[in-house]
Amino acid sequence: MNLQRAVAVASVECSKLSAQVKTRVALVAGAAGPFVFALAMRVQSSVPEDTLFGRSVKESGLALSLVVLGFSALWVLPVLASIVGGDVFAAEDRYGTWKTILTRSCRRSEVFAGKIATAFGFALLATAVLAVSSVAAGLLVIGSGPLVGLSGTLIPSSHALSRVALAWISVLPPVFGMTAVAVLLSVATRSSAAGIGLPVVMALTMQLYALVDGPEVVRRLLITSGFNAWHGLLAEPSYHGPLTHSAVVASVYVLSSLAIAYWLLRRRDVAA
Amino acid sequence: MSHVAVAAIGVSKSYSRREALCNVDLIAHRGEVHGLLGPNGAGKTTLLRVLLGLVRRDAGSVQLLGRDLDSAAGALPDGISGLIDVPAFYPYMSARENLGVLARLDGIKRAAQRAAVDASLERAGLVAHADTKVAGFSAGMRQRLGLASALLRSPQLLLLDEPTGSLDPAGARDVRTLARQLAREGAAVVLSSHDMAEVEELCSTLTIVDQGRVIFCGTVDELRKRAPPAPHSLRTSDDRTARAMALHSPGIRVMPSANGGLEVSADVAALDAFVIALGRAGIAIRRLERPPRSLESLFFDLTTPRDLDATNLAEMAS
Repeated sequence: MNLQRAVAVASVECSKLSAQVKTRVALVAGAAGPFVFALAMRVQSSVPEDTLFGRSVKESGLALSLVVLGFSALWVLPVLASIVGGDVFAAEDRYGTWKTILTRSCRRSEVFAGKIATAFGFALLATAVLAVSSVAAGLLVIGSGPLVGLSGTLIPSSHALSRVALAWISVLPPVFGMTAVAVLLSVATRSSAAGIGLPVVMALTMQLYALVDGPEVVRRLLITSGFNAWHGLLAEPSYHGPLTHSAVVASVYVLSSLAIAYWLLRRRDVAA
Repeated sequence: MSHVAVAAIGVSKSYSRREALCNVDLIAHRGEVHGLLGPNGAGKTTLLRVLLGLVRRDAGSVQLLGRDLDSAAGALPDGISGLIDVPAFYPYMSARENLGVLARLDGIKRAAQRAAVDASLERAGLVAHADTKVAGFSAGMRQRLGLASALLRSPQLLLLDEPTGSLDPAGARDVRTLARQLAREGAAVVLSSHDMAEVEELCSTLTIVDQGRVIFCGTVDELRKRAPPAPHSLRTSDDRTARAMALHSPGIRVMPSANGGLEVSADVAALDAFVIALGRAGIAIRRLERPPRSLESLFFDLTTPRDLDATNLAEMAS
């Protein structure tokens, strides 16, 4: 595989994404959403008490960021993870452009690598936008008051900020896992609707499963468990076991999904 | 440098249980336009897809411009381009942006991209629509953009699948001119087409496929020689009596012609005797000629099942 050609494919994919409305809308929504939420919290008298850190949302801007993180894990992050990953291959089927791009000077492996890099890059960017926006909205609209941790101890703002940043970073493995699943569905079904929609449905189903009394081994294999792995960072003393577990599970999802997707793409006949 | 541009030998491809190509050979040379003919579903497009690496072959070997096409997963070698069906592009981008994207995939250096794209647009006659979004393009304009994208690769081998199907007459003329020009410049053009007049006008060599098998490969002249002679076209002062006389003349077979007059099938001796007999009966010969067989009739001879050919249908009707 020629890295330069894979980079060329990635740059082409970025050009295509920048020309599409949906990606711009997703990023703008990710940037504006936390500000709208912060303003609503500031204006209204009640707080979302039944949500983790919901009670502190009017006292600490960083708590607002964590409320956004907790809420986003339900379906926003799966959507952001799959909006490009679920479409990046299927769009070529929708437009009938496989025959156009596969008759140029790039191997299928290079096309695959370029598209994967774009999908993961967008998932990273979208998560980063949401994270930065939620922290900025919290600090600007609510203020930089200290954060009450999950063990009830007060965490000073300076320490809390780094923990909140780590909490957002900790959701990247499951986000990448969801992106890989979306890529697999995009390649296998050749449908953007399936590529984007099914990972979100899958994420919601997994989260519902976590609520029922099912076998523990299944629960530990759910990729969505990783969306809650950051809780240990806000406890005293902090614990990191769930973070490691989340990274391992996500790696399995990423590697297996991408391996199958590449195998399917490589073997595929681009017929009518 | 080898004179052979395409050497596909023993290519086979099946989809599930359907055999799309069976042991197909295709040889095309530099400097010529090679016609690929066949009825619908004969396997022409599948063969072109195999050559372009879009479809994996089950068996056989393919060499393009002297290089092995190992598998469908490989990159298309430089200097080779093709158009399959109606070309497809990203509708939310302009023609220029689409070509810019393809130039990057072709590894054209950034500094040279703009000039290469502009030259392709110019040659394909799309300069006026260069900045229009492709979503608003007609099928003919997409076809022109497809040609521009193919030209971007400075093709030494160009594979075209029915390139004039969706073009207006001026567009079709431009494509033919381009194909001829590329061949004159030393490139090989493989052209699949249903338009026999187009193939006759452009192609010096032909491969005819039917039901996934090659049934003819050679020059147009060789195809003409291989086919049975065309009937003579005869016009007389009294076609009805001439036809009645033919019934009693040995070795003569006469059919009314669709264009008026008679079609006479006979060897030279029998025809001479028949003409003399007509003269003796006071019937003047106003015209007697053997028109060259059109490629279309030769094509039908090769590809139409005997129990369905035009002659048999006419006989059944009469």
